[in-house]
Amino acid sequence: MEKYLDILNVAIYGSAVLLMLIGLYGALTKKSLIKIVLGLSILDSGVHLLMIAIGYLKDGTAPIFSAGNEEKMSVMVDPIPQALVLTAIVIGFGVTAVAISLVIRLYRHHNTLRIDEIKKLKW
Amino acid sequence: MVGSPVLFVAIPLLAAFIIPLTGMIWKNSVRIIPGLVLAFMFALSISLMGYVSEHGTIVEVIAGWKPPIGINLVFSPFTGFLTMLMTFLGFMVWLYSYKFKRNVDFEPSMKYFILLMLLVTGSVGIVLTGDIFNMFVFIEIVSISGYGLTSFYTRRDSAEAAFKFLFMGAIASTFLLIAIMIIYSQLGTLNIADIAEKMPLMDNKLKVLSLVFFILAIGVEAEIFPLNGWAPDVYTQAPGPIGAAFAGIVVKAAIYASVRLVYTMYDFGGAFDLFIIIGLITFIVAETTALRQDRLKRMLAYSSIGQMGLVMIAFGIGTKEGVYAALFLMFNHAIIKSLLFFSGSYLVFNKKNKYIKHVNGMGKYLPITSVLFTIGSFAIIGLPPFSGFWSKLAVLTAAADSKMVILIAVILIISILEAVYYLRVVNRIYFFDKKEKTETQKPSINALIAMICLGIIVLVIGFYPDLISGYLDRAATDLMDKGNYIKEVLTINK
Amino acid sequence: MNIIILILILFFLGAIITAFSGKISALVQDILFLIVLVVPAVLFFTGVDMNTESIITFSQAQLTFGMTPLSYYFSLIVMGLAVLAGFYTVGQMNGKKRKGYYYLNYILSIGAMFGILMSKDFISFFIFWEIMTWASYLIVIYNGKNVQKIGIKYFVMSAIGAYAMLMAIVLIHSITGSFLITDLISEYTGMTQGMQLLIPALLLIGFGVKAALMPLHIWAPDAYSNAPMSYTAIFSGALSKMGIYGMVIVFLSLLSKVPEGALIRDIVAWLAAITAAISTLWAIKQDDAKRLLAYSSIGQLGYIIIGVAIGTPMSIIAGLFLAFMHGVFKSALFMVVGAVEKQTGTTDLTEVTGLIRKMPWTFLAALISIIALAGIPPLGGFVGKWMLYESLILSDHFMLVILVFFSSTAAFLYCYKILFGFFLGQEEKEWAHVKEAPAIMIVPMVILSISSIVLGTYPQLILKPINAAMMSFGLPDTYGNLWKESILFNKWGNQIALAPIMYGIMLVFVIVTIFLFFRNRSRTRYVTTKDISTSGEIIKEHENLTFSRGFFQPFLRAVEPVMKRQIDKYMLSFAKGVEDLFEFTRRIYNGNGQTYAIYAMIFLIILLMFGKNLLG
Repeated sequence: MEKYLDILNVAIYGSAVLLMLIGLYGALTKKSLIKIVLGLSILDSGVHLLMIAIGYLKDGTAPIFSAGNEEKMSVMVDPIPQALVLTAIVIGFGVTAVAISLVIRLYRHHNTLRIDEIKKLKW
Repeated sequence: MVGSPVLFVAIPLLAAFIIPLTGMIWKNSVRIIPGLVLAFMFALSISLMGYVSEHGTIVEVIAGWKPPIGINLVFSPFTGFLTMLMTFLGFMVWLYSYKFKRNVDFEPSMKYFILLMLLVTGSVGIVLTGDIFNMFVFIEIVSISGYGLTSFYTRRDSAEAAFKFLFMGAIASTFLLIAIMIIYSQLGTLNIADIAEKMPLMDNKLKVLSLVFFILAIGVEAEIFPLNGWAPDVYTQAPGPIGAAFAGIVVKAAIYASVRLVYTMYDFGGAFDLFIIIGLITFIVAETTALRQDRLKRMLAYSSIGQMGLVMIAFGIGTKEGVYAALFLMFNHAIIKSLLFFSGSYLVFNKKNKYIKHVNGMGKYLPITSVLFTIGSFAIIGLPPFSGFWSKLAVLTAAADSKMVILIAVILIISILEAVYYLRVVNRIYFFDKKEKTETQKPSINALIAMICLGIIVLVIGFYPDLISGYLDRAATDLMDKGNYIKEVLTINK
Repeated sequence: MNIIILILILFFLGAIITAFSGKISALVQDILFLIVLVVPAVLFFTGVDMNTESIITFSQAQLTFGMTPLSYYFSLIVMGLAVLAGFYTVGQMNGKKRKGYYYLNYILSIGAMFGILMSKDFISFFIFWEIMTWASYLIVIYNGKNVQKIGIKYFVMSAIGAYAMLMAIVLIHSITGSFLITDLISEYTGMTQGMQLLIPALLLIGFGVKAALMPLHIWAPDAYSNAPMSYTAIFSGALSKMGIYGMVIVFLSLLSKVPEGALIRDIVAWLAAITAAISTLWAIKQDDAKRLLAYSSIGQLGYIIIGVAIGTPMSIIAGLFLAFMHGVFKSALFMVVGAVEKQTGTTDLTEVTGLIRKMPWTFLAALISIIALAGIPPLGGFVGKWMLYESLILSDHFMLVILVFFSSTAAFLYCYKILFGFFLGQEEKEWAHVKEAPAIMIVPMVILSISSIVLGTYPQLILKPINAAMMSFGLPDTYGNLWKESILFNKWGNQIALAPIMYGIMLVFVIVTIFLFFRNRSRTRYVTTKDISTSGEIIKEHENLTFSRGFFQPFLRAVEPVMKRQIDKYMLSFAKGVEDLFEFTRRIYNGNGQTYAIYAMIFLIILLMFGKNLLG
């Protein structure tokens, strides 16, 4: 059981970090604006996963107070990261929406989606 | 107490929802209500400052959850001073742009004013909040309204600027979240005072890692050197007054956040040196880049970045004199740079690329605006008797008292460059002949009032700096006293 | 209200009111301008004494104003010249554009100079110094020619000086905890050796820029010749003296206290001697009267600096005396050039000729001032130069004597050139219409020329305040003993004895002139330059007999190797190189959003690498 938990931990944290790296890779190397936005999105998801993982507790229950479960309070998962992640997801969604709308405008304005061709503003 | 710090956040957010509704009934309300809200915020900050200077810091608890669990807003002499400055500038920006897009659509002006209001609210929120996740949320509010405002003009290259800003901002917010989660996982708290108290318990490696992530994230908004590629683009492409809002409000909030980290949350001595190094590099690169600009707003943008570098340096000195100097610089920069952006926008009004050469001979056509721009230039160079001199003197005195002789020399040498590029523009305004036939735009009366207000402040502070030195002094004492901050927040209502 | 503050407020409010009064009428503006210059001068000479002191306290600094004997001496120069040049200005600016702008900056710079002299602490000193700088900068670019080059050059050099000074000021504050000049003087001997050298050196850079000391002089020829002449009279006569004023303080109250000071004093004296020699050569080469006088000013300032830097009591007297005299005769000369420029429209020595009969008063002023400049007795320049030579010889600075002697002899060449170029030579039709300048311009010039005669014969008029100033620095009382020990005065016994001899000579001269004039009056007729015949050939009307082009070519060829290398060129190419470098740094911002993100990642990695250092 312990071993299983370790593997789970590694898997969760590992996949979070992996997602972040994939996202970062996409954002930093891909030339297409869409792919960059996707990369940023994936980067965000990785962070969200990390946040959830931090609040995770083995055998934890949902962090809901009710009359019956006072004794279970010690095994509740930490509610704060979940609250935070909800906020973060909403913000991330908003940012992605703005990003996509900007991409549309960029495409109309420049007729290209390659980021290295959109550099009228420099120096 | 006349009001509560919560109103700084609650009223504008409420207004942001109401404005579209009232706009259906009375179109002008979309312009007037944001102004009323900003004026109210400014008045509130003044009245709270009065209260604070008598009774000490106000710690406002939201929804009855006491710190460290609940979110709290801290209105201390330091945060209060910044709030006052930001809301004042917010109001000035509103006043300047009141007639903005008057003859065009109702829709864009509604968006503009709502976003402007949110930008100010978010910045004030960053300063007031006592909770790092809350700070993250406010930073995102500022960023998103910033993206919106940047891409406001559809005919310019604004989408490009906004996308760059968004790109950097998204990466920054990711790292900010990671840093916050590192802190939370180690210390189990999000309250700044509580974190500051528990910080010695944290593992050194994670401490460094989280601080580095914080600096990366906040550095994007604070426009420190390698992270500020987006800034000149945004300043050029956003509507004129928004440049002033960025330079005067948003960057100030970001600098506040980084200062709060280093002075209050973390207990690293080396972080101050980091501030000096980053500040110095930012200052040098930005000022040298500004020297070679051929577009007015880009020049102002780089100059603004450079000034922020100087603020970082001043904070990095780490003594009370340093903090005093930094706050004075922030104040002056906010006022002067807004004045420059305001008057500069009219000098290159209606010009497509806004080259510096477009200001040629404007002294004849726009006399008052030109004089104000000149006053602003002289002030930002630090020539007496304008206000910029006193802050520059404060920085140098603070550096000299800490025996940083080389730092003084570098700051002064770079300041010469600053003088050069500003005077080149001023010379053009008065001594070159206007070549093209494009129409000059006379400033509207409200814009003129806003500019003259700022100009008068520059002169008055220049002649009588003691008007604000009391505020600055209290603010500096407040920031330096970390123990007091922790005590005040954590012992609220106990 | 303290009288010094009152005067300052008068200046600054008066400047602004004068600037805007042009909207009412030009006459009101002129009158206001003169009132704003005259009233403070009157107030100053009647109301201010050594005990007047006033303090304005700010949280950052305390501004202390008061008068010292030294500043009284320099105020004589500033206030006197300001009023005289003020009257001249009204005449010269009559009908010009941007009068309000010019008057504003004129009064501001005078007020700032007064403020500098009255400052007893470094902060107010620096504030007024900077106001003086930007006000004079705005006048330098007044005529709109070459503003980006000349104006920026002036400002950058001024900024280098001012910032060096500012650095010294903050260092002083960090050591003594105060901005007062007296506190620096009292704590100077207790500082570390490094600071003892660094602080005076930085201050001297600051003062050296305004006093046009090589290699900080590169702004001066352009700025002096580009400003309107009515201001250049102030610029060269009074504003450059602010640098001298600061140097006197540094040399007498700081560097003379420590043994290492001798090194800096020698360096400065040498630089000043080289400045004097080379700028004299450059002055000889100029064909434009403005630039000629500008270079000549730099050279003359060189003598003054030598005197101050050597630091024996007599050399200081010589330096301070020359400072006053230079203010008198050089302002008069600039005014002369201004008058010629106003009447003929040019200041090119090769074009304008034969004005002597058309502008006789101007010629008279020019003649007397040039005699004073050249140091011919009995005019004021002679007394100062003699004392300078004597003090240099007595203090064993033989090489410096040679340089100074060389340059003051060579100065005769350009003196002659300016006199000949404008006033002598053939009368040409082109200038037939030229009239004498208006009286309001003539009177200040004549007053100044008369003062150079008076001061040449009665030097004790200003030797007295000089002596008071020197005694305030702890030097021995020289009035009536040391200065008359100069060979110059010994020859004729006591100090006053000089005058009767002079006047005796002059009387004889005048009597003989009058005698000749009356005796031959009926037989005189006007002889033009064409009224001759060469080899039996009669000169035609259009032929030119006088040549004002290419003066002194053989001499200039001989000294060419010295003049080949110009610091100016080196500095400009350095500045250009720096700008090109910045062109490179701005390419960091290459416009690609992704690159910026990569910068962010690099920044992150660097921070992580040095993360350990963060722990402090």
